[in-house]
Amino acid sequence: MDTFTQLTLNGLTLGSVYALIALGYSLVYGILKLLNFAHGDVFMVGSFIGFGTLQLLGGSTDPVVPIWLLLTLITLTAMAGCAVLGVAIERFAYRPLRDAPRIAPLISALGVSFFLAYSMQLLFGAEQRDYDAFSLGNGVLFLEGFNIGNVRVPLLRIVIIVSAFVLMAVLWVLVTRTRTGKAMQATSIDREAAAMMGIDIDRVIVFAFVLGSALAGAAGVLFALRAPTFASIGFLAGLKGFTAAVIGGIGSIPGAMAGGLILGFAEAYTQGYISTKWSDLLVFVILILFMLFRPQGLFGKADIRKV
Amino acid sequence: MKVRGLAVLALAALGAAALAATAGAGSSGVTSSQAVSCKSALKLALVTPLTGGGGFIGQEQLSWAKYGVKNLSKKYGLKVQLVQVDTPVEKGPGEALVVSQKLISDQKVVAVIGPATSGGVASASQALTAAGIAQISPSATRTSLTKGANREATSSFFRVVPGDYVQGPTDATYMVDKLNAKKVVVIDFQEPYSVGLADAAEVVLKKKGVSVSRQSTSVNTTDFSSLVTRVPGDADVVFFPSQQPSDAQTFAQQLLEQGKKAKVFGGDGTNSPDQFKVAGSYVSNFAPDISGIASSKALIDGWKKDNPKATLGSFGPPAYLAVEVALNAIKKACDAGKGQIKNRKDVVKHVKKINLKTSILGGPFRFSTKSNDPLNAKFYIFQIQSNGTYKLVS
Repeated sequence: MDTFTQLTLNGLTLGSVYALIALGYSLVYGILKLLNFAHGDVFMVGSFIGFGTLQLLGGSTDPVVPIWLLLTLITLTAMAGCAVLGVAIERFAYRPLRDAPRIAPLISALGVSFFLAYSMQLLFGAEQRDYDAFSLGNGVLFLEGFNIGNVRVPLLRIVIIVSAFVLMAVLWVLVTRTRTGKAMQATSIDREAAAMMGIDIDRVIVFAFVLGSALAGAAGVLFALRAPTFASIGFLAGLKGFTAAVIGGIGSIPGAMAGGLILGFAEAYTQGYISTKWSDLLVFVILILFMLFRPQGLFGKADIRKV
Repeated sequence: MKVRGLAVLALAALGAAALAATAGAGSSGVTSSQAVSCKSALKLALVTPLTGGGGFIGQEQLSWAKYGVKNLSKKYGLKVQLVQVDTPVEKGPGEALVVSQKLISDQKVVAVIGPATSGGVASASQALTAAGIAQISPSATRTSLTKGANREATSSFFRVVPGDYVQGPTDATYMVDKLNAKKVVVIDFQEPYSVGLADAAEVVLKKKGVSVSRQSTSVNTTDFSSLVTRVPGDADVVFFPSQQPSDAQTFAQQLLEQGKKAKVFGGDGTNSPDQFKVAGSYVSNFAPDISGIASSKALIDGWKKDNPKATLGSFGPPAYLAVEVALNAIKKACDAGKGQIKNRKDVVKHVKKINLKTSILGGPFRFSTKSNDPLNAKFYIFQIQSNGTYKLVS
């Protein structure tokens, strides 16, 4: 039972991060019908911005502000930095290709992905960056918390899971309760009709990139608090986020959330009960199975066309 | 259908891009050797990861190789230029072959210090040997480079440090004899270095009656939570032969997080006091802490003068030894050729015959007659202290 509880906790932590990444894919796909393959690298840049901010604030061994403020500041800085990056990517890599054949922005997305990964490697080196969150408060984030049976739920995991769910809730409110959110929904249903109704499409698209990229930035920090980050981490993280989005139904916000969690649990249970060897393979098997048998995902709608 | 079509297209494009990225390692071009005057500046190439995840190894090797060239070229009366060649581990082992083509075409390159990684050696050795260039690695430890029926390195490859055929058994023996381990988890990362080392340790552990649980994870894994969950609560040691010290740090911290008492035991790839510093863990390495060797004190002082901010580690001194082996052989080839190296293969012959009465690593140095491995070399074990320093314990 303890093993199941621990693996569930592992899956929930990982799944929360995947869900945040998947949301970025879904937001952009929902509006633009574009698979933004640079999204994983925005996640990577977010983790680097968080690392830089952490160093500016004294590092994990000697922070100049309290731990809770430190975590808030590095997350917000990464979100802000990634939001700006998302706007720049949209403006320079996707907007000029908005009316081009669909393969063009896809190739542009791959180009942006490589550009970001190699630029970061060139600027900061390819070595792993460790936040060393264990040193914050002499291990308080790892060693303190509460117990479920014999399983300790450390503070850091609580911080990651709660932060991710708060961000998802905020996104949900933004999309369903605000004018801009409703404009996003309208644009995702029919971009031309939305434009004719007076919705500023450019503004809506930029807003989608701001939201998606900010969530990727937050995911980058939350992930890097537990594991080292490096310039090429975005590729695999992006693919996992994409898989999560496909599982949930790409374009669907609740689908992305659910897809991320399902993927996190699947990885954790596979590693725990079957073999640690197979977890990455499993991700792509799931992706292929969904592509073959349920391309619209769990929450998406089948795209039926009259011919 | 639209989503599926677009996604399949995207995945195909991604796959093509990944394939394209791995291309580039060409065929092994052979350039016939021309005579080179020993009065001109001869080139010694250091092939190592100077940037990237393995950059900490390469930078340490570079500082000692530079110091070696400065110090020893005077001793041997040679004019030597050190050529720095970066092979980041992230570019894969094929990068060593790519950079070797340039070295082969430059007749002034008479020997290579490296490649530093076993994968790099396996990739580039054949081409370098065909061109008659001696490769003297200060850190490639994979057993199959020099031993077994399917040797990956060719006849011009030498290493000044022992291979994993020494490291695995040394580590396993220490776990049993000194740590009294009864239950050990052995992990590999599905790549040749860790699989070979894990295999070598596992064989000895099982022979000694230890209960061994073998686990395997992707080399791309950075969050080890679920792997840690699989570590039994009563396991004494986890053998973690990663090539990334920060992975060992994360793994050790996650063991503590889940309340597991097992000690982490890393291989030479995790030996980095800056990155792996969880107190009570162990690491092995192919070189000792030379600060304890009296005959090496003057060399350390000289190196510190040139590198005042650098910390003395275990990866650098073997690079100095490799430079000494190379320059000694180059000098002998020059003498035999009456002031010129007629063929780069002449250097290889003299490398094999090297016989140093004393080396920076302590004691005499020569190669085994059976393989191009150092004779009677051993691995050393360090324990990480509460202040993060490494204490030599065996």
